[in-house]
Amino acid sequence: MNGQFDLIFQIGIPAVLVLVGLFAGRIAERRHLARLTRREAALRGMLCTNLRSYPGGVGGDGRAELVTSHAVISSDYFKTFIAGLVSIIGGELRSLQTLMDRARREATVRMLEDAQQRGFNAVCNVRYDTVDIGAAEQRRNKAIVMATIMASGTAYRTA
Amino acid sequence: MIVVNTEGVPGRRIASVLGLVQGNTVRTKHFGRDLAAGLKNIVGGELKGYTELLTEARRQAMERMLAQAQQLGADAVVNVRYTTSAVTGGAAELYAYGTAVKLAEGGE
Repeated sequence: MNGQFDLIFQIGIPAVLVLVGLFAGRIAERRHLARLTRREAALRGMLCTNLRSYPGGVGGDGRAELVTSHAVISSDYFKTFIAGLVSIIGGELRSLQTLMDRARREATVRMLEDAQQRGFNAVCNVRYDTVDIGAAEQRRNKAIVMATIMASGTAYRTA
Repeated sequence: MIVVNTEGVPGRRIASVLGLVQGNTVRTKHFGRDLAAGLKNIVGGELKGYTELLTEARRQAMERMLAQAQQLGADAVVNVRYTTSAVTGGAAELYAYGTAVKLAEGGE
């Protein structure tokens, strides 16, 4: 009896979590990507570069302001599980690659939206940083898997 | 105060360079947020608590940097950069630094 319970706990619960992660994670990812595509389309007029000079010249009232944004996107149980499997044989962790990509796009979109709201139409000298929020769940030797991106740039109006 | 991450301020000449100004902070969210993040790690999605943590940390580091710049009598801080490091579980250090400058009157 005891052995059966142990089996349920050791295999059953992770199996359920993998399934929950697969469905919930996939829905969350699809919705997020759809949202990103929509917001990126609305920002098409913004000039976004990582040049240190101000491409297009500085017009308007000549103002320039630092804009910064953050995005922290969580992995789901399925992605983490697959990553664990792949790391046994090695190779590309596609499930986590898309996660990083989503976080970077989200941070970029937020930065551009912030610039647009402040009346600018261009951002130059864009930089990306990753942030390590430490392993919050380290108590059980289980780190939270997440993509943490910080984007910054200088917003201005082109001439 | 003008704050940019480029080397100069558009349309303005730098009259004098006052030196490096910096600000940092180590912040963490309460235990409940870490727990919520652990749960969110099963289903995926944004960890809003941690996004908030970073926004707060950046504001605070920035404020400290600007306070230093103000003390030096700067008009602008140019070439601003951020770096971060992990200190302990659920916490992030955010460090903002830049060069405080005095701008010349009039155009370039």
